[in-house]
Amino acid sequence: MKHLNRRHFLGAGLLLGASALLGKETPEKPIAVPQEYTPPIIAFPEKKPMVTISDRPPLLKSSKGREIFTQAITPNDEFFVRWHLPDIPTHIDLNEFRLEVKGSVNTPLSLSVDDLKSKFEPAEVTAVLQCGGNSRKYYAVTGQATHGVQWDHGAMGCAVWKGVKLKDILNRAGVKESATWVGFNGLEKPAMDETPDFFREMEIAEALEDQIIVAYSMNGEDLPYLNGFPIRLVIPGHFSDSWVKMLSEIMVMDTYRKSFFMDVAYTVPDNDCECVVSGSDFEYKRKPIAAMKVKSVIGYPSSNSVIKKGSKVKISGVAFDQGKGIKEVMISLDGGKSWSAAKLGQDFGKFAFRPWSFEWEAKTKGDFTIMARAINRIGNIQPMPDEIGWNAGGYQYNAVDNVSVKIV
Amino acid sequence: MKKLLLLSLLIASTLFAQVDKPIEMPYVEYPIESGDHDEVVQQYCLICHSFGYILNQGKKSRPYWKGTVQKMVNEFKAPISKEDQQMIVNYLVKHYGYETQSNQSGH
Ligand code: HEC
Repeated sequence: MKHLNRRHFLGAGLLLGASALLGKETPEKPIAVPQEYTPPIIAFPEKKPMVTISDRPPLLKSSKGREIFTQAITPNDEFFVRWHLPDIPTHIDLNEFRLEVKGSVNTPLSLSVDDLKSKFEPAEVTAVLQCGGNSRKYYAVTGQATHGVQWDHGAMGCAVWKGVKLKDILNRAGVKESATWVGFNGLEKPAMDETPDFFREMEIAEALEDQIIVAYSMNGEDLPYLNGFPIRLVIPGHFSDSWVKMLSEIMVMDTYRKSFFMDVAYTVPDNDCECVVSGSDFEYKRKPIAAMKVKSVIGYPSSNSVIKKGSKVKISGVAFDQGKGIKEVMISLDGGKSWSAAKLGQDFGKFAFRPWSFEWEAKTKGDFTIMARAINRIGNIQPMPDEIGWNAGGYQYNAVDNVSVKIV
Repeated sequence: MKKLLLLSLLIASTLFAQVDKPIEMPYVEYPIESGDHDEVVQQYCLICHSFGYILNQGKKSRPYWKGTVQKMVNEFKAPISKEDQQMIVNYLVKHYGYETQSNQSGH
């Protein structure tokens, strides 16, 4: 990895004033040993007690750690939560709530949740919702720590989403010829008027693709409040930064609107590896993160498990990608020298978690590192941890997952 | 901690009332190291988000904290004077960060 001198780094920071764009820092020798803060575990409305990274805005992850990924469908009351702005309505009256569809359309619409349920064809998809910064703390294992909340694998889940196809809504409104972009906004608002809204944009061609839905149901129930009640955008195969929660406005536009959360946040270098090859991240032309990358996560066992010699261990977890479908998950028990195929479980669709398992008889005492590596149907394979391309925001981490266990 | 637990018990009982009644969000008192003008940090850094945002970054370098405070001001419009920004950066580096060794090239 290339290093960067300090003057250069500071200059970049002053110029842009945006730490998301700052470069990879020179490897530094901390004077204090970095200590990890352990957030409290607290029950929020409609949620089991969850690890509360922040209460305002709420950032929650399951208190079960990896174990939540032994299931292909994540329960609503344990599904991770990630908002951006602090002012979230604590009450939504469905009689008053409307989704406004406006801008470059022939007929602006103002739709209640009831309208969505009764006046449109329902659509359903089982899809993984994963934060762009999920697993970012693991970048620090092989390289430099990245910026942002140091998530382990907890910022993801998979649910059955039901709602209305976005294209059906757009076609009902009638998109004008001149339209090029569609903007999405929800009811979360900043504490100060001057702070930019969490406004997300999508090219019109993408917005008209078949698989995107405006969901009013999650795993057969209303969406939990904290997952975006009453409706949110679902973009199967894509990172969740544009899955706008409490979706209240769809704005069809003739021109792209510049906005902090599109242009600066959630962006990576616009090159083939989407990573910093040399110099600093800010020097690169940016592109927003979009399609997810093939990934598998071990649900069981968790790291530092102690296993009795002779036990049969069912190693299990989930794998997913951008929607091409998982072809194979390989397991290694010898630090990546040899690999054997795991058994793939039920197929919930190409955007869903694919559960997998591997029977292991723990015959020899000692320390073992279990690794899981997924390959999708178009041959995308997870990089090894020391091969993954680095970016300052810590986005899109998908290196081979591993846990260490002890056989006694 | 006791306060937190009590709160969460209260909340649990009002769980599924989302449509009729406002939900009640628990309030978490994140620990904030005192001293070195923590009052300035508390005045500004809790306006838009909890202290959890700061605690869950892990220890960070001075350039990181400087860049982050600048981002709060320039991008998110936090109304913090230059002088207070400097005080906050010093506080963050001391309690939630580290100074880098100065024997590197390029200074
Ligand atoms: C005017 C509103 C505002 C104020 C005041 C503010 N912040 Fe922020 N801060 C934000 C927003 C908005 C985000 C991004 C939130 C998100 O995406 O979840 C953020 C994110 C962060 C993050 C996460 C990392 C990152 O770069 O996004 C840190 C750390 C942070 N703020 C620290 C601070 C500190 C320290 C202060 C006090 C100097 C402060 N904030 C004051 C609005 C503010």
